[in-house]
Amino acid sequence: MATALAVAAGAWHATPASAHAGAHAAAGPRAALSAAFQPLRLGAATTISFAVRIDAAGEAAPTPISRVEVSYPSDLGLATSQLGLADCSPAALLLQGDEACPADSKMGQGTARVEVPFGPEVVSENVALGIFAAPSSDGYVHLAIVAEGKYPVIARIVLAGVLLVGRLRITIPPIATLPGAPYASLVSMRASLGGALTYYEDVHGRSVAYRPRGIGLPESCPRGGWRLGASFAFIDGLSSHATTVVACPRGGGVRQTPVSG
Amino acid sequence: MGTASAGTGQTPTASTVNVKDEGRLRLVKSSGSQLIDEGPATGTIPGTARIVFVYDGNPTMSGQITIYGHGGDIQAHATGRLSSPTSASPSFKGTLTIAGGTGRYAHARGAGQLYGVFYRRSYAITVQTQGTLRY
Repeated sequence: MATALAVAAGAWHATPASAHAGAHAAAGPRAALSAAFQPLRLGAATTISFAVRIDAAGEAAPTPISRVEVSYPSDLGLATSQLGLADCSPAALLLQGDEACPADSKMGQGTARVEVPFGPEVVSENVALGIFAAPSSDGYVHLAIVAEGKYPVIARIVLAGVLLVGRLRITIPPIATLPGAPYASLVSMRASLGGALTYYEDVHGRSVAYRPRGIGLPESCPRGGWRLGASFAFIDGLSSHATTVVACPRGGGVRQTPVSG
Repeated sequence: MGTASAGTGQTPTASTVNVKDEGRLRLVKSSGSQLIDEGPATGTIPGTARIVFVYDGNPTMSGQITIYGHGGDIQAHATGRLSSPTSASPSFKGTLTIAGGTGRYAHARGAGQLYGVFYRRSYAITVQTQGTLRY
């Protein structure tokens, strides 16, 4: 694993539209989640964007995270989207970066910010995220998420993710920094699945570019909107949780059953 | 092709048929993790086939299949496991249970196997069923 200061350009002032952020901490640091569907139209394909933030207590960097799990309604069409029509080897991704991956394997992108204390200071680094479909041996859709930072440390790491039913689980390994220094801490992440991606298909012997269909929204919206959550597991055993709701679009289609859970 | 084995003499209206049908289905409608495809069915019971295909990330898909045949409709529930979910055309394989219908198949029962391919670019689905039908 490359030495890394994590990354992230988590523009928190730009809370996605149509989401009401909510947060509460379990035992770990305070966490927040926001989310948006763009476009927000029942039955249409959409891009799902979400942003998470961990607030450190005081001025120290928060305890490093070992796992982030974003939950979403299982009737969203992530698995039936056209995202990830090929897969990318995580090993090749780590070695060569995005260029190692077929265009048709890219599923999304994002940014993150990591922090690491150096003596009395906390140094932060912004990283770019690329989300790719990875090979699957168990029938679930696996993801390889490459995080690349340029300053102050040039580093690249690959995170493993998996789409479970109604959940995206991302495992974060300890991110080493400098000898003797603590692991880097993820403090914020913004990511989107779908969006402006370009795939290619063979049409009569020619490679033709197209935009893959994104994530299908159901034709009805649960009363109160779509509820999403994010849970964070930290390397010290603590955990935090945050929730948010994406409001139903204006005009019909609201399901007449209350949201459970 | 089907093999009818009616006629024990005691239940002259009951038939047991080995069925093998194939449908080449096109997307009619989608809603989140649910796709509805329809198309022609050929084989033992020709007609029009419709599948309500649900794939929510669990490797096991589920489907409600209806074949609109000449003498009535046959309804079945199927589950199958997808392989290679990040390929352009994952295949799936599983089982189906026939659970009634209309017309001459109003009391249909049976079971069998399901094979198919899900074309993620076009959302077309090719599905093959084979099994035993009693009606």
